[in-house]
Amino acid sequence: MKVETKVGLLAVLSLVLILVFASMMGMISPFSNANELNIMYNYAGGIEEGSPIRVMGIKVGKVKKILFDPTYKSASGEEVKLRIIITVDKKAWSSVRQDSRFFINLAGVIGEKFLEISPGSTEKPEFKPGDYVRGEDPPRIDQLISQGYGLAGKVIEMLNKNEGSVTNMITQLDKLTTNFNKTLVLFDKTAQNAEFSRLLKNAIKISDDTAYLMGNLRSKKAEDTYELVHRLLFRLEPVDGPRIKKFFQEEGIRAKIF
Amino acid sequence: MFFLKMSLGAVQGLFQKPFRKNEILQQLYFVGNGSLLIIVFCVCFAAVVTILESSFHMKMVIQNDSMVPGFAALLILRELGVVVTALLLTSRVGAGFAAEVGSMQVTEQVDALKMLGIDPVQYLVSPRLIACILGSLFLVIVANLTCLFCAMLVSENMLGYSAQMFLTSMRRFVSFQDLIFAMIKGVVFGTVIPLVSCYFGFFCKPGADGVGKATTQSVVFSSITIIVLDFVLSYTFSFFY
Repeated sequence: MKVETKVGLLAVLSLVLILVFASMMGMISPFSNANELNIMYNYAGGIEEGSPIRVMGIKVGKVKKILFDPTYKSASGEEVKLRIIITVDKKAWSSVRQDSRFFINLAGVIGEKFLEISPGSTEKPEFKPGDYVRGEDPPRIDQLISQGYGLAGKVIEMLNKNEGSVTNMITQLDKLTTNFNKTLVLFDKTAQNAEFSRLLKNAIKISDDTAYLMGNLRSKKAEDTYELVHRLLFRLEPVDGPRIKKFFQEEGIRAKIF
Repeated sequence: MFFLKMSLGAVQGLFQKPFRKNEILQQLYFVGNGSLLIIVFCVCFAAVVTILESSFHMKMVIQNDSMVPGFAALLILRELGVVVTALLLTSRVGAGFAAEVGSMQVTEQVDALKMLGIDPVQYLVSPRLIACILGSLFLVIVANLTCLFCAMLVSENMLGYSAQMFLTSMRRFVSFQDLIFAMIKGVVFGTVIPLVSCYFGFFCKPGADGVGKATTQSVVFSSITIIVLDFVLSYTFSFFY
């Protein structure tokens, strides 16, 4: 083999390896089998080009490009200024529906950011390649810390201003707790007393009997008795006083005789 | 002073006729193809050591080596692949250049060239310079990629990370510009090696002892220059991340 050929082969090998590396980095994918979607955010929480896209936790694509689009307005009129172009493999495309939601999440020991797509319901139609979708802005930890810091400042300020009242409140709370504790101890002692126990047992018995009585009063037999009494009273109503008096006198005399 | 003059002369010589295509190809073959096997062999072992050591240290510190493929790939691309290649080239090619030019100096062949009206810098240094730049560039690419494949193989067989996991972790830390920066470093080191070697060759003292000393000095000086330039370039490139 000539020297030129050997040197040429080395140069070709280098070029091929550069292409292989570009392919490994996902920069070129000649056999790509994915569709694109535009996800709109106002805050992307540190996601980067090349970050993975997951559907139900499985990697199905990557963030292809991040663009600033200050003029974009969604169909609802909301201004959304950050456009993230993602690729989703065709095998997972049917799982992404119009009601799917697009979250930015954290994973791994070093907090790798990824875009999670929740699978949509089958009643909703699929997206068309290149559709624009509103993503769910991740919570801003910096704002949360800032608000927490402000809140802590206000609490400290309030405590400083009302130092006397707070001390008094704490003293009152302390007294209340002590009294409550004493009450509880007293209640415990009372519960252990024999007389109190008997009283309690009787109360339980009365309660049981009342429950039994009430149960019987609600029975069919009780209803019949009530009906009989009602009828008796109805029949007794026209009977006048002197005849009743006479009846009871006669009955009384008869009772005395026997 | 002569070094600067010689360097400028060598660069000028690249654009002046006659273009000594055959000489350039011969030198490129000597630098590139001749060093390919030894460099691939050495960087493969360097990759194995790097990934195993990284894994050991990560496990020791955070009891988890899931980031090792990414770290190892970054280290290979940013430092290991280029520096090991350059140092091996210095040992093999730089020493060869210094000895060759030194012998010509001692045997007055350089003076003979001058007598014939041929510029010795253009005649001797320029073809070696372009050959070494191209050869170093090719070798850096091959060395880096071989190193990565080797690391991938080790992580699959010894650390339990599949090739896909290796690539995912690598993509987290590595970008295409790392290879570009490695190639730039390769070009810079490929420029330094022939210039330093030929310089010591031109200033070779008479006798076999002189040639030996010139060769040693060229290797030592080139190695130091490569290490220092590596720091300068790495520091400069850190501003691009």
